[in-house]
Amino acid sequence: MSILVRADTKVLVQGITGKIGNQQTKLMLDYGTRIVAGATPGRGGERVWEVPVYDSVKEAREHHSIDASLILVPAPFAKDSCFEAMEAQIKLVVLITEHVPVHDAMEIRAMANAEGAVVIGPTTPGIIYPGKMKIGIMPGNMFCPGNVGLISRSGTLTYEIAGNLCEVGIGQSTAVGMGADSVVCTPLSELLSMFEEDKETHLVVVVGEVGGTEEEEAAEYIKTEMKKPVVAYVAGHSVPPGKRMGHAGAIVQRGMGSARSKVRALKEAGVKVAQRPTEVAELVKGVLKPEKG
Amino acid sequence: MRIHEYEAKNLFKQSRIPVPRGNVATSPEDARRVAEEIGLPVTIKAQVLIGGRGRAGGIKFSEDLGEVEELTRKVLGMEIRGYEVDSVLVEEKLEVKEELYLGVTIDGSLGCPILMTSSEGGVEIEETARRHPEKVFSRHLKPFGDLRAYQARELAKKLGFEGKPMLQLASVIISLYGAFKACDALIAEINPLVVTKRGDFVAADAVLEIDDSALFRHPELAIEPQDRIPDELEREAGKIGVSYVNMDGDIGLICSGAGLGMATMDMIREKMRPANFLETGGGMTRQLMAGALRVVLKKPNLKAVFINIYGGINPIHEGAKGIVDVVRQKGVKIPIVAKALGNRQEETWETLESVGIKVVKETQTMRAVEELFRTLKEERS
Repeated sequence: MSILVRADTKVLVQGITGKIGNQQTKLMLDYGTRIVAGATPGRGGERVWEVPVYDSVKEAREHHSIDASLILVPAPFAKDSCFEAMEAQIKLVVLITEHVPVHDAMEIRAMANAEGAVVIGPTTPGIIYPGKMKIGIMPGNMFCPGNVGLISRSGTLTYEIAGNLCEVGIGQSTAVGMGADSVVCTPLSELLSMFEEDKETHLVVVVGEVGGTEEEEAAEYIKTEMKKPVVAYVAGHSVPPGKRMGHAGAIVQRGMGSARSKVRALKEAGVKVAQRPTEVAELVKGVLKPEKG
Repeated sequence: MRIHEYEAKNLFKQSRIPVPRGNVATSPEDARRVAEEIGLPVTIKAQVLIGGRGRAGGIKFSEDLGEVEELTRKVLGMEIRGYEVDSVLVEEKLEVKEELYLGVTIDGSLGCPILMTSSEGGVEIEETARRHPEKVFSRHLKPFGDLRAYQARELAKKLGFEGKPMLQLASVIISLYGAFKACDALIAEINPLVVTKRGDFVAADAVLEIDDSALFRHPELAIEPQDRIPDELEREAGKIGVSYVNMDGDIGLICSGAGLGMATMDMIREKMRPANFLETGGGMTRQLMAGALRVVLKKPNLKAVFINIYGGINPIHEGAKGIVDVVRQKGVKIPIVAKALGNRQEETWETLESVGIKVVKETQTMRAVEELFRTLKEERS
């Protein structure tokens, strides 16, 4: 199995007629994702790669059963698009968009809690169920099916680590980008709990980075609630304090968010922490082997 | 992005938070004029976008107009923690009876605003929280809607105020929260909030950091964040749309993601020193990559450039063309080592190799970093 999605999850793409929406829809269809509809205000009636486009999410819902929405709209419209999806009772929303205002992200998260929906992002590569489907922008060729759950703050680093794992024959049950902003809509510990319950996941890899306290709080969850082994890597040991490193959330400030503090918290929770991304695959191999033998 | 104290005070004033009388000055003569207008004694405060200016000598007091000019001249020439002082705020000197702390920021892990207050003003709130947690009163707020008046009164009372002063303080707290929301702030802070001998509440200092991602809906602020970056290369990179952080080493770096960029930097740092951090974000084009390489190459004494990119949302085959454009145009002499994977990787490799760039085709960035170390070693011997 997988977390959040199934092989036949029916997906809507909001912003399907944009340049990126169009390209990524093709890549997802090629990968096996069941994209049943698209939505772009003012473009209802068109088709993108044979997928019917509607003016609103509501109209799309009237014609199709939809399980999840992928949002590929510019940042100023992200909040509205998320609200529209949630109001149409879509319970999984993947918000790829970067540079969403933090005040908007807070409102989206509050709305998700109120509606009982799960919003992944903002600034996420999305979700991939390797070999089956993906709701996101990740290159499919870097992932392969297996039993390791992967959660990452960063997009590109997810690809690298998934690729490393595949090279040593370790596939992934699901890989999820939790988002790289200072406010994400689904916290790391919640994603960990989904993997904890997923039967096909034997181990979870957490790829963290400097900024915020998500990893520290997840460490608390791992220590008290989790039975499955966790391997982690934290990027940004050489980051100077006070500098924002590309991601809105990647900043060491007010004495918080350093890589060292995260590594310490994770190690204290019994997590095996890799010093380099490369080491993740070695550590995972080391942990999984005794189980198999 | 943090804005200057005088700008923050102007915005606070619009939200009806009392601030000292005063004005910004960019010359000693200007400062004298402001002092004449508001009357002596005055405070002269360096306007820099970083804390700790008091300890660095960036705050002066004066009771004499001639001295105001003299002190302003001194402060205007200063450099405080890497920031040059090009303006001062000249204000009436407050008669302080008490100092409080008020601040609103975002609790990233809970995903909502948090309002913090303390009876201990003038010190960093983190320090008070550590030393005297009993003096810090905070509350989380819902992202929707405003702070309720009774919530503000409750905090004012906890800070030890009663009667009319409690109501006055509550109204400052409500106004501060209003400013935080109205400006899309990440931090809105008054430290200290002074209680004057006359019993007024006045914001003696003001810190406002505004969310860069929200500037599109604040034309009234008239802020171009890139213009305010003190570092020249960081400013230039900001203008072409990539995140660049100037570092102290000699290996130029271009990555297509922040996490990958930080991890790559960590790995290079095992043996060498990165000259910069650079990540393109998800909007890569041929022009953007060409611009990125040009900025990276501007750093003096560069020994090599390391490129690490993934084709997910980014068209790396287009980005590669931008790299090649610059190499051809400028005749780059230093070695370039690249790792590029993902959608259309073969095309990308071919393009990069056409100008002699070393392309590492393995998944592990460490392999490519080792290739970089090897290349530079060969160059030396």
